[in-house]
Amino acid sequence: MDGGSLLLLVRAAGVSLLLAVAAVVSGTGLGIALAGLAFSGLAIVRAIYRAWVYVVRGMPVLVLALLVFYALPAMDLQTGPYVAGVLVLAIYVGALFAEVFRGGVLAIPRAQWESAKSLGLPPWAMLSKVVIPLVARYTLAPYVNVCVMTVKASSVLSIIGVWELTFAAREIIERTLAVFTVLGAAGALYFVLCFGIDRTGRWLERRLMARGFVGEPA
Amino acid sequence: MRLTSWFATYGPSYLNGLVGTALTALGASIGAILWGCGLLLVRLAGRRWGSGVVDAYVQVFRNTPVLLPIYLIYFGFPLVGLSWPAVVCGGLALVLQNGAYVSEILRGSFKAIERVQFDAARSLGLSPWNTFRKIVLPQVLVYSLPALGNQVILVLKDTSLLSAIAVTELTMQAKLLTEQTGAAYEAFLVVALLYLALVFGAELAFRTAHRALHWSR
Repeated sequence: MDGGSLLLLVRAAGVSLLLAVAAVVSGTGLGIALAGLAFSGLAIVRAIYRAWVYVVRGMPVLVLALLVFYALPAMDLQTGPYVAGVLVLAIYVGALFAEVFRGGVLAIPRAQWESAKSLGLPPWAMLSKVVIPLVARYTLAPYVNVCVMTVKASSVLSIIGVWELTFAAREIIERTLAVFTVLGAAGALYFVLCFGIDRTGRWLERRLMARGFVGEPA
Repeated sequence: MRLTSWFATYGPSYLNGLVGTALTALGASIGAILWGCGLLLVRLAGRRWGSGVVDAYVQVFRNTPVLLPIYLIYFGFPLVGLSWPAVVCGGLALVLQNGAYVSEILRGSFKAIERVQFDAARSLGLSPWNTFRKIVLPQVLVYSLPALGNQVILVLKDTSLLSAIAVTELTMQAKLLTEQTGAAYEAFLVVALLYLALVFGAELAFRTAHRALHWSR
């Protein structure tokens, strides 16, 4: 494999990372909103939450991607492949994040709720001083896991024509027929991204836990 | 279009895809569980380099997307003189990837077995292989059932990626139908529902098996 191809792969890896970052950011927002539904007082809203998560998690990412890519033009929405690609990934990881956050809120020990209430904390302070710090710590490991999954899932977008790492690898293979070296290099780049995210997550976990952490999950 | 005539026209295509997906997922799941057991055996054999190799293998497959081994085998093996059908290439890629996850699941369950059982097995004069086969494996598999069920569902969903190498399965059939009929997203909507049905069926099967097999200790 020549230097030009390798450079192309590195650039494509950058695109994959950007896709994943955009999807994680928007997926986190979606996940928080969805997790809110899970704790609604209305049974019908909770049922909608469960159905949404089940459907999104129950279908392959590729099918979700094909649905979105064909449905957007049918709804007269013209978006580029990157916007549509990020939308697909955000819908997918949004459901995963929602489950992660829901689990985190459920893990808060009863004593924490009761002490927050007995201190007379207003709802917003309860959220920002008790719920969010605890949930952030409880869910960091699964959250990072989903981030790694996002990078891996972004490769699926290559099938529907989004130019990223897997797409670039196939392009170069069609030109050079160097299957093993090109896919090996692409695999190494994915590994660097995913392993890097995983290790950063573990490092963060140690740092967050170190500063006198109280409130072991229930 | 009336439902009956719709089914007469498109039913066979979807049915074909459904069978293709189910059989591929079944084969790849069985392969992945066997391969995961093999990797666990290597770990338990107690050679340090053996565990090291399995660790590296698991890390590599955990941190790369499954499309890469699919392409690697499908496009690469013919170059070294192995011309296998697409479904075998894709299935092998799924086995290699998911076997890594299965071995980690099984390793977690292995820790749940009390040490006393190994003393008991030794005092009965069981060889290490027989201890693995008759004591370790049955317990590990039963403890792992829920997690294995999740993994099987992931395999089921990943079979959709084999449409990228033209294996006859649900997603491929939907792509073909969209091209033939010019319908936009309707085919994928049907296929999404069929995947949900398959996932639901797999969940139900594993829950039933879990209830039937899980003894209380």
